[in-house]
Amino acid sequence: MSNTTGAEKQTLLPATTAGAAAALLVVGLAGMACAAALEYGRGDQWRYFLHSYLVNFCFFTSLSLGALFFVLLQHVARAGWSVTVRRLAELLAANVVVMLVLFVPLAASVLAGQGTLYPWAAPHTAAADHAIEQKQAYLNPTFFVVRSVGYLVVWWLTARYLLRLSLRQDESHDAALTLSMERFSPLALILLVVTLTFASFDWLMSLWPHWWSTIFGVYYLAGAAVGFVALLIIFTVLLERAGPLTDQVTAEHYHDLGKLLLAGVAFWGYVAFSQYLLIWYANIPEETAWYQPRHGGPWGWMSLGLLAGHLALPLVGLLSRWPKRNRLSLTFWAVWLLVMHWIDLYWSVMPAYDPHQPPWALSDAFCLVGMGGVYLGALIWRCRGRSLVPLGDPRRQEALDFENY
Amino acid sequence: MDAHAHEHPNSSPPVAGLLAQFASPEALRAAAAAVRAAGWTRWDVHSPFPIHGIDRAMGLRPSPLPWLVLGAAVVGVVLALAMQLWMNGIDYPLIISGKPLLSLPTSVPIMFELGVLLAAIAAFVGAIALGGLPLYGHPVFFSSRFSRASTDGFFIFLAADDQRFEPISAQALLRSAGAVSVETLQVDEASGRVPGGLYWILATAVVLALLPPVLVTWYRTGPKSNPRIHLIQDMDFQEKYRPQSASPLFADGRATRPTVPETIPQGRLQADEHLYTGKVAEQWVTTFPMQPTAAMMERGRERYGIFCTTCHGLVGEGGVSGITSARAVKRREPNWVLPLSLHTQSVREQPVGQLFHTITHGVRTMPALGAQIPAEDRWAIVLYVRALQRSQNATLDDVPEPIRSQLRPVSP
Ligand code: HEC
Repeated sequence: MSNTTGAEKQTLLPATTAGAAAALLVVGLAGMACAAALEYGRGDQWRYFLHSYLVNFCFFTSLSLGALFFVLLQHVARAGWSVTVRRLAELLAANVVVMLVLFVPLAASVLAGQGTLYPWAAPHTAAADHAIEQKQAYLNPTFFVVRSVGYLVVWWLTARYLLRLSLRQDESHDAALTLSMERFSPLALILLVVTLTFASFDWLMSLWPHWWSTIFGVYYLAGAAVGFVALLIIFTVLLERAGPLTDQVTAEHYHDLGKLLLAGVAFWGYVAFSQYLLIWYANIPEETAWYQPRHGGPWGWMSLGLLAGHLALPLVGLLSRWPKRNRLSLTFWAVWLLVMHWIDLYWSVMPAYDPHQPPWALSDAFCLVGMGGVYLGALIWRCRGRSLVPLGDPRRQEALDFENY
Repeated sequence: MDAHAHEHPNSSPPVAGLLAQFASPEALRAAAAAVRAAGWTRWDVHSPFPIHGIDRAMGLRPSPLPWLVLGAAVVGVVLALAMQLWMNGIDYPLIISGKPLLSLPTSVPIMFELGVLLAAIAAFVGAIALGGLPLYGHPVFFSSRFSRASTDGFFIFLAADDQRFEPISAQALLRSAGAVSVETLQVDEASGRVPGGLYWILATAVVLALLPPVLVTWYRTGPKSNPRIHLIQDMDFQEKYRPQSASPLFADGRATRPTVPETIPQGRLQADEHLYTGKVAEQWVTTFPMQPTAAMMERGRERYGIFCTTCHGLVGEGGVSGITSARAVKRREPNWVLPLSLHTQSVREQPVGQLFHTITHGVRTMPALGAQIPAEDRWAIVLYVRALQRSQNATLDDVPEPIRSQLRPVSP
């Protein structure tokens, strides 16, 4: 066990990254500004911008949610193998507070009552539509904003609590803190899944206020899990090279992360197909409405692309042992699936804007870079001065020693 | 081995191998590496728990089990797909819920389940078989030390059938590898034989397993006074009301519910008097409710062929020209009334509305066909009947001028 200050220094981000954080924040804000400027010219009351923004908002939120889910799961399972990569997840989870700030434009649009993003938010739509009118008790601007802020705050507080305890353990090496986290996690896990389900209902499902699918929350969770594990793999590979995680991870960690990635892919496919099969089979108009635009034409091709890219190919690619243990091939699939996860969300949101074809625009790229810059900048800022490995965790040695069979 | 037995006359039963005990997992791992380095192939290690790196120390090759499992999964998936396509698409084509006969999405759950099932069975059976099980006996069990292999003992067993086996050098190898003790084990004739009781258990199981199918076959073949055992119930015997049966549930005691008064079922509103009754203000109409077209005439010809020819004949002359009528007359049916010719003066003079009414409600002994034929089709039939009547009562004036010269008188 290395608990000397020298070892602690090694697991810190290099000092130069403070500049990188600032630069990323600047790039992020500039990207957002560019996207907004491009969209201002469109003159559609920000309709396109808001849809594009929602895609990225849900994308980056899902990364933090996946991280929180992962951390809670490790504590519930009392996992030893993952200790050396858990701090990254803790930091990513706590980064959800950025999304609280980034939620402001969405809140503003809903409160404006124009229905530019969510049709139910406009009083005249609700008045003309009996079904929406009946849902007003739940789907109304004020309650929507209150709920959304509520979810984000719950996630932030949960993540912050876990991060704090874990950081305190770096100093004290107190095993009792691990027990506290393990006692806290089962209930927090239930709370997370419930809030995440409702968040996906509110943010994504209510784009089609007539449509409902009870499994939709699980679908979002599955995507979040894939996206997060992919990101964690990328971070781990980068940080192992850069220093903070050198000697902290072995091929065994990649093997296990690869297994989780594979499990996430299978989970996503299972849930996505379950949702599709029931709706397709029953063939009831109010249920098939969501799949209708995604069934043919350009959106249909994207659906098939997801089937191949988000399920079939990575499933085959990650099935064997060696692609999971090899850093290069694992990184390839991680990057691939991170992109797929983004496309999955684009495919979930954008038909609400144009049911006929994907309405790609330059501002999409600026929006992604913008929000990504802010998110990553804040993340690096959060990492400052903090060990990227939970040095005081009683199971750290176990994590360094374990082997897969 | 026989050679060894001759060399050492004292140890009369042949040697099965050497069993060496080690003090710790680390010692075992090191010793395994040494035995492997010496080139041994027929040997094994025993420990109370899995030891990290022992497989590498022993030089074990990766197990083929993953490939077996993958193969089984693929077979399961393909089999499930083929089975469903064959059964539902080819052998017994049955449209369910309006889905295509060869539908991939509906097959996926079975493909998934069968794939998982066969993969799991392959993993289970494969792990047991590749592990060399079932094994009914082994020389190591004759060592009193070996019972500690499930608590705190770490062992290496060198089998005598290895090409390198030579008692003295093998002993030396194990000792130099750090063995705490080395023991020579004899071959036991009894070990390796299948326990006798197992045959009885297996035989009983087979007999018991055969009982149900034998009973079922016996019950299902040949006459029985009791009803046969209905193995697959499906929905054959469900609780339900048959038409016109009684029910205590409703005040009027009938299970069949009448339509709610003052209501009309969806799509059954017949507001257009002309179209649906053939009458306007209690008078037969003399015009069609729609514009007659060639398509309507063609439809009428087809529908007439289906609904009227059996009685009235192809051209509508009635009598025995329809096949039903011909048959009834041939059989001398006493109550058979010959269908009327549609070309009689009285029928020809009837307004179209009345013809429509005849088809809808029947007339005297002619049955009502309104329930079978939609109103539009009935009008199409009326149109065709009119054409038939015209064809049988044509004059020279009906023939176009240019082709009149082509007409020839028909010799009777
Ligand atoms: C089951 C045999 C049967 C079929 C089928 C049948 N008819 Fe008749 N139809 C009769 C008989 C029998 C009569 C004579 C009834 C009588 O005089 O008692 C008759 C009489 C008629 C008459 C004369 C009614 C009158 O006012 O004297 C017309 C017109 C007629 N049928 C039209 C049709 C047309 C058009 C169809 C096809 C849609 C049709 N029938 C199908 C048996 C049939």
